[in-house]
Order: sequence, then C-alpha cells, then structure tokens
Amino acid sequence: MYVVELCHWLQNTPFATGLRQSDLLFPLIEGSHILALSVSVGLIITLDLRLLRLALCGEPVSRVMHQVMPWALPGFAVMFVTGLLLFVAQAEKVYTNTFFRYKVLFLVIAGFNALYYQMKFYPKMAEWDLAPAIPAGAKLTAAISLVLWAAIIALGRTMAYEL
Amino acid sequence: MGDILQHLWQLSYDSKTVDILRNTKYAIPMIQSFHLFGITLLLGGMVILNLRLTGFGLQELSMNSLGRQVWKWSVGGLLIAMASGTLVFVPDPARYAANYAFRTKMVLLCAAALFQFTVYRRAIRSQGAGARSRANTLVGCLSLTLWFSVGWAGRAIAFLG
Repeated sequence: MYVVELCHWLQNTPFATGLRQSDLLFPLIEGSHILALSVSVGLIITLDLRLLRLALCGEPVSRVMHQVMPWALPGFAVMFVTGLLLFVAQAEKVYTNTFFRYKVLFLVIAGFNALYYQMKFYPKMAEWDLAPAIPAGAKLTAAISLVLWAAIIALGRTMAYEL
Repeated sequence: MGDILQHLWQLSYDSKTVDILRNTKYAIPMIQSFHLFGITLLLGGMVILNLRLTGFGLQELSMNSLGRQVWKWSVGGLLIAMASGTLVFVPDPARYAANYAFRTKMVLLCAAALFQFTVYRRAIRSQGAGARSRANTLVGCLSLTLWFSVGWAGRAIAFLG
C-alpha cells in the first residue's frame, strides 16, 4: 500500500535514522512526550473536573479555563511535535500498529469533542459559570474528554510494547 | 540486608499470582497505563499548584482552593502511580533492584514525597501562600524539580535495560 511505502521511505531518511539510533536524542524526545502529558492532559483533566463539579467549585468555570488554557496549549504543542518526531523515527512500525491507529482515532474524537464544547457552550459560559447546575451537555463533554484521554494514554503506552 | 532482599525478590518472582502478571499478554501494558495515568494526575496537579505558588501563572485562582482540591487529586494520582508501580515491580524485582535508574528513582521519590508532605504542604496552606514571595517561588521550583526528576529517572529505567 502506498502509505506504508511512504512510511518506509520516511523512516529510512537520514534524519529519521539518526533520530532512531541516537542514544541520547530518542530517549529525550520520548521522555518529553510522556512528561509533557502533565502540562497538556493534566491541565485539561482539572478543567474537566471543574465542569463535573469535582474540583475548584468556588471558581467560575470560565476563570479556570482562561487561566489554564494558555499553559495547556503550549503543552499540547510539545506533545504534537515530540509525537511527530517519534512517529517519523519509526514510521513504518507505528503506522501499522493497531493501538496507534486507535490512538489517532480517539485523538480526532477528542478534538471534535473540544470543538463542540467551544461552539456550543463556550459563548454562553457566563450565564452558568458559577451555577451549581452546569448544562448537562457541557458535563457530558467533560466526562467524554476524561474517558478519551485515559484511553489515549493507555493506547499510547501499550503501542510502545509492540514496536 | 542484601540477603533478605534477595530472598524477598526470589519469593516474589516464584509466586503464582505474580506469575499471572508476568505471563498474561497485556497485564503489564495495562498496569503501565494506570501508572502513566496516575503520573499525569500527580504531575498535572503539581504543575497547576506550582504555577500558582511560584507566581508564574494562574494568579486569578485562589491558592486556598487549589491547595485543598487540586492537592487531593494529585495525591490520588500518586497513590495510583505507587500501587501500579508496585505491580510492575513484583514480577521482576531483581531486575529492577539492579537497575541504577530505578534505584535513583526510588531515592528521588522518597525525597519528593517527604518534601511534599512536610515543607510543601505547610507552604501551600500558610497565610502567605497566595502572595508572591521568593520563598514560595523556591518551594514551588523545588517541588517541580523533584517530581519531574522522579519522572525522568522512571523513563531512564527502560533505557538502562
């Protein structure tokens, strides 16, 4: 298949080969990918917990969101860049890895889930910001986000065993 | 002491329960997934608490509620990570005990936990926790450094065999 051949070529470029065989760079990139979870997913979890009224109920949801997102977005940027480098280094094996495919699928769903929240609930947040009754739909997106991220972490960890 | 530990590792290695962990295909990856999820909760909470404490960010959130509520989730993450970490350790204790990254990780973990439940807890619950001060910045940076060092040492275990 065409994509497999493309991945084969990609992982055999001098850049990818160098990355894969580096005793220092590869572990550093992989470690950064894992530890940046705390600055990306870790912060989103807190926001989800606030929406579910499981933490920081004294703070308006919009305030938690506005305070946390400027840190979470660079965190996700680090995840994306390091993840891309890890993919390039082992493109062929990663591309054919079933766990990786589910991980990407769940990432896309998590993206749409966040987009849905942004379009449907974000514009009217001020109306229910501090209310004990958060719209059920907003709570549902938070719960879905938590489940998806837990699954993405598990899939990402498990795929490494099959590389 | 060394003999006793060696004997313990052997007992653990030989145990039937542990044999299931070792030989079920996805047991260790699943436990490792819980480990990573616990770490994300723990470190995520530490990042939030320490951004606030150091004065680098999140200044509009109350230190008091962060200190009590994010703290709880962080400690929950630590417990998940420790429980799952134990389950990764027992099927192959001798291998881990001989690994220098693992040993370093355990020392750093003890240091981080000790700091967390003494100096750190007092700092985030003190009257001046919400204000910017050099002491708060120092405590926050030290906490982040300790916990992320535990993480890096943990990652190094795999690369040292």
